[in-house]
Amino acid sequence: MSVHFITANRLPQLLHLLRQRGELHAPLRGADGVVRFAPLAAGTLPELDALRTLLPPKIYLLPPRETILTYRDDTNYQEPQVTTFPLILFGLHPCDLAGIGYLDRIFLGEDPDPVYAARRSSLTLIGTNCTPDQFCSCHLQPSPLSASHDLFLQRIDDGFAVSSGSPGGDELLETLAELIEERELAADDTRRFFGSQLKQPPQSELDPYLLDWQELAGHCLGCGACSICCPTCYCFDVLEFGGLDGRSAERLRHWDNCLFKSHAQVAGGASFQKDRAQRFRYRYRHKYRGFGQLKGIPSCVGCGRCREACLAGLDLRPLAERLERGVS
Amino acid sequence: MNANLPVAATITGVRSLTADTTLFTLTCNDRAAAGKVASFLPGQFLELSLPGIGEIPVSYCGLPSAEGTIELCIRHLGHVTSPLHRATPGDAVGVRGPFGHGFPLDSYENQDLLLIAGGLGMAPLRSLLLALLEQRRRWGELTLLYGAREMGALLFLEELQQLALRSDITIQLAVDRRTHCLEGPPGCRVALLPALLEQLTIRVERTCAALCGPPVVYPYLVSGLKRIGLSDERIHLSLERHMKCGLGRCGHCAVGTLLCCCDGPVFSHARLRGIEGALA
Repeated sequence: MSVHFITANRLPQLLHLLRQRGELHAPLRGADGVVRFAPLAAGTLPELDALRTLLPPKIYLLPPRETILTYRDDTNYQEPQVTTFPLILFGLHPCDLAGIGYLDRIFLGEDPDPVYAARRSSLTLIGTNCTPDQFCSCHLQPSPLSASHDLFLQRIDDGFAVSSGSPGGDELLETLAELIEERELAADDTRRFFGSQLKQPPQSELDPYLLDWQELAGHCLGCGACSICCPTCYCFDVLEFGGLDGRSAERLRHWDNCLFKSHAQVAGGASFQKDRAQRFRYRYRHKYRGFGQLKGIPSCVGCGRCREACLAGLDLRPLAERLERGVS
Repeated sequence: MNANLPVAATITGVRSLTADTTLFTLTCNDRAAAGKVASFLPGQFLELSLPGIGEIPVSYCGLPSAEGTIELCIRHLGHVTSPLHRATPGDAVGVRGPFGHGFPLDSYENQDLLLIAGGLGMAPLRSLLLALLEQRRRWGELTLLYGAREMGALLFLEELQQLALRSDITIQLAVDRRTHCLEGPPGCRVALLPALLEQLTIRVERTCAALCGPPVVYPYLVSGLKRIGLSDERIHLSLERHMKCGLGRCGHCAVGTLLCCCDGPVFSHARLRGIEGALA
């Protein structure tokens, strides 16, 4: 099998060419030792061996807080001006690409969200493969979601096998022609972990009643870290702030967290998820069952962030596996 | 079209119904937008924006209107509805909708209909009741049971008393407790809704029930209806959740793996069966 190949020593040139096309962001290890997506300055190489960034790339599409409408008494509510610029995310792992694919389904499906769409259209996604660690579950329990990418760099021996996943990727590939050589690879050498396909979890409306909800939730601290670092958690609150002039306002979309008591509260203070066990179960349902139009599509992409972040060492995966096997 | 974007509307009528509940009439400023927002099925909801304060889901309370007039019955309880207490005709608001699924009018054809409202649940059921009366011949017998905690909390009392004079509808009103100052109007009893239900004779094979009330009353009503012999498929309830976006995205209105904003807010009980925490 013949593939496009870029040798590892040409990586700086590749990054230089990419930088011509937009702002380049990649995983970088900060002085604090934390790996996060950050602008990649000329002369710096990305941290391609780091397994996961602290926060997933959803922060580029759904910032923790953003304006979705503005109001003025003479113009009523209006869409905000979203200024975007070409942004290239380099070094995304398959799980994060699948996470973006899931968010696309939510925000670009029926009634596409204009703010999300504007941000999404300015993104170029360049993925790379990785080797899972003990927290990852992409190889055990991947999402049936396809990873959406423009280019994918499969790390093999002394370089990267490059493939395109979109028309934008095809075009980008052409501009990289000077770096690319053709190389023969064994056809079965696909050392990239998109993982095997997850069997669909049981589709009945009923979750078997498990003591595990109470037991697991008993350990949960309710801190919400698992949701913050999840590449497919998108629950948001809608807030409105009136301007001091009394004539203007801004409506914001703000990350919400299903492990917080306020999540299912209604006017008057009543809540439909009073107990931590109920909230914990809600999270399980969202990650492994899916809601509404995405019902039946598990949204866990196996990135392992929640398992690594959980202070109590909780893991929903064994529960999912047990439910899948029908063991209660 | 940005589905997040409210269209401008103006408050044209404010009618105080009880100490804490007001019936607002809104008119969409733009005729074209009005056609969409004011065309709905009873049981559907809209998102009402109060500029500078926020946005909330509210059930339609009146009839669909080609002129873009919308009636909303609002209890002043939350962070948006409390400031609405001070709203006066001429105030600007925003509306977007309709959202969700309403009561299944088509499946009600030729059926006897039993409407059961508790408290503020009368608001969406008033919309249903008016729609049913508008095409009265399409349905069989029509019964409304409406309970509130006390006499002063009964909404639309005069209107319902007027309707009760008609021969083609049975209306029974009840209050949880007697208050010192008021004599009950004729036909109003001191009783809880499930008790009213027990004294009712209905033809179970051709009756559909439409329920809206506070969560606490649902388990009693549903078990009462099932005791009479009504099947799960014939019981429809409107659930309360905080639908913050209306588009199935914000994640606040999940009922099991269903979403109140897109799959509901009106569900058949058959669909909710077995979902823990769905009713209360």
